[in-house]
Amino acid sequence: MVTTPVLSSGLDLQASFVEALAGMGVAPGVARLLWLPLPMVTVLVAAVVGVLVNVWLERKISAAVQQRIGPEYAGPLGVLQPMADGLKLVFKEDIIPARADGLLFTLGPVLVLVPVILSWLVVPFGQNLLISNVGVGIFLWIALSSIQPIGLLMSGYSSNNKYSLLGGLRAAAQSISYEIPLALAVLAVVMMSNSLSTVDIVDQQSGAGIFSWNIWRQPVGFVIFWICALAECERLPFDLPEAEEELVAGYQTEYSGMKFALFYLGSYINLVLSALLVAVLYLGGWSFPVPVEWIAGWFHIPIDAPALQVVTGTLGIVMTVLKAYLLVFFAILLRWTVPRVRIDQLLDLGWKFLLPIALVNLLVTAALKLAFPAVFGG
Amino acid sequence: MFGFLKKVGDYTKDAVGAAQYLTQGLSVTFDHLRRRPITVQYPYEKLIPSERYRGRIHYEFDKCIACEVCVRVCPINLPVVDWVMNKATKKKELRNYSIDFGVCIFCGNCVEYCPTNCLSMTEEYELAAFDRHSLNYDNIALGRLPTSVTSDPAVFALRELAYLPKGVMDPHGVPDTDPRAGKVPESVGASNSSANGDPS
Repeated sequence: MVTTPVLSSGLDLQASFVEALAGMGVAPGVARLLWLPLPMVTVLVAAVVGVLVNVWLERKISAAVQQRIGPEYAGPLGVLQPMADGLKLVFKEDIIPARADGLLFTLGPVLVLVPVILSWLVVPFGQNLLISNVGVGIFLWIALSSIQPIGLLMSGYSSNNKYSLLGGLRAAAQSISYEIPLALAVLAVVMMSNSLSTVDIVDQQSGAGIFSWNIWRQPVGFVIFWICALAECERLPFDLPEAEEELVAGYQTEYSGMKFALFYLGSYINLVLSALLVAVLYLGGWSFPVPVEWIAGWFHIPIDAPALQVVTGTLGIVMTVLKAYLLVFFAILLRWTVPRVRIDQLLDLGWKFLLPIALVNLLVTAALKLAFPAVFGG
Repeated sequence: MFGFLKKVGDYTKDAVGAAQYLTQGLSVTFDHLRRRPITVQYPYEKLIPSERYRGRIHYEFDKCIACEVCVRVCPINLPVVDWVMNKATKKKELRNYSIDFGVCIFCGNCVEYCPTNCLSMTEEYELAAFDRHSLNYDNIALGRLPTSVTSDPAVFALRELAYLPKGVMDPHGVPDTDPRAGKVPESVGASNSSANGDPS
C-alpha cells in the first residue's frame, strides 16, 4: 500500500488567486496578503453554519427518536429555529452576577471558544483546501484543546456559585483525564503516517479507497478516539460538567445572553470539529470510497484536467462534511441511548480502561509497523 | 501470572458485554427513528375527551334542592351551598352555589350522589387562570357549557387511541364515519338478548 500523492499538484486556489491578481498588475506580496483573510473568513462562516445545521439536526433527530416532531414553525421544517435561538441570545440582557469576578467571568467563555475555532486551522477539506498545512497539524489541535479547561475552570470559579464551581472542576478533571488516551490514539495514527500533518495523514489513507482507511488498521484507536472526543465535547454519556439534574447547568449556570451563546457555540463547534477530525484521522478525510484517480482512469480522463480538479475538490468537501455529519448523527443517537455516567465511573473509564488500552494499541501498532512496514506505513 | 490473565479476561468480557448493551440500546433508538410522531399539536389539534371524562363540573341551579349531599360526599366539603329557610313556605330557598376548581380534585362523588342530577361532569379541562381566586366558580359560571372540541372550527379534533378503528394507531386523517374497535354501548345491549359472543 504505497501512498502516491497523485493530487499533490491538484487544485490550489491560493496560487490561482495570486496569479490572477498578478495578471492584473498587483504585486505578488500584496496579492498573498489579500488572499490571507479569505480562507479564514470562509472557514469561520462554515463553522458557524455547521453549528446551525448541527443544532437543527440535534433537535430534529432528538424529536424523531422520541416520536415528536421538533421545531417546525420557523422556516420550512424549522430550519430557521437555530437562527431564531441565536438572535434571541444576541438580544438578551448580559448579566454579571453580584460579587462575581467580572474579568474572569468575561474571559472564560472567550477562552473556551477561541481555541476551538483556532483548531479549524488544520482541518483539511482537500489537498490544498485548508487554511494552513501546519507541520505539527494534529498536535496543534491537541495542544489547543488543553487550553479549554482553563477557560471552563475560570468561568466556574468566577461565577460565585457552587454549581458553577463544581461544574468547572468536573470539566477540568474530565478534559485532563481524557486528553491522554486521545493523544495516545492520535499517536498511533501519526506513527503509521510518519507525519503530524493532517494532509499527510489523509494522503496515507488514500491508496486503495475505502480499504486503506485507518479504521481498518486502527479499530481500537478509532473507538478510543471517539469516546475521548465525546468526553472532550461534554456530549451526553459524559456531560456531567453541565448535568442539569444535579448541577443546574454546571459552569454555565450564571451565564446569559451572548456569553452563554459563546459556550453554546463552542460546544457545538467542538463537536463538529471532533467529528471532522475523526473523519480525517480514521475515515480517509476527503477521499471517496473509490479513489477518484481510478474512476478517472476507467473513463480515460486525464487526472490533471481542470474540470476533474474542480469535481475532485467539491467531492472532497462533500465527503469530509458527509463523514463528519454521519458521526454527529451517531453522537446524537448515542445521546438518547446511553445514560450519563457517574464521575467515578468517568474517571475509571478514562484512567483504568482507555489509558491502558490506548497504550497497548500504541505498542501493537509499533510492533506491526516493524513487522509489516508495507501495510502499517514503514 | 494466572491471576493477571484472569483479570485481563474479565476485563475483556466486561468490554464486550458493554459493547453488546450499547449496540442493543442503539438499535432501539435507531428503530424509533422510522416511527411516526404520536404527538398532538395541541392548540391546533385536540383529542376528543372520552365520554366518561371527568372535567369541570356543570351545575343546573333550577334543579338543585339544596340538600347538601354534594357537600357531605365531597372529600373536603368543597361545594358552598348558600340557602335560607323560608319560614312562610317552610322550604329551603337556594341563593348561591359555588365550587372552587383550584381545590377540587374532580373525583366526581358529588355528581354520583346528587339526587336530582343537577350536577354533571363536562369535558372541559382548560381551566388555566392568572389568579387562583378566579377558579372559584359560582352558579352562573358553573351553568355554562364548554365549547365542544368537535364543533370548534379553530381546532382539529382527533380521536383517542381507544376510539380509533381496529389496528389504526395514528388519529390523523381517520374519517369520522369509521367505527371504533369493539362495540359501542348500544350494540352491546342489542346483542345481549341473543348471546354473549365474542366482542368483535
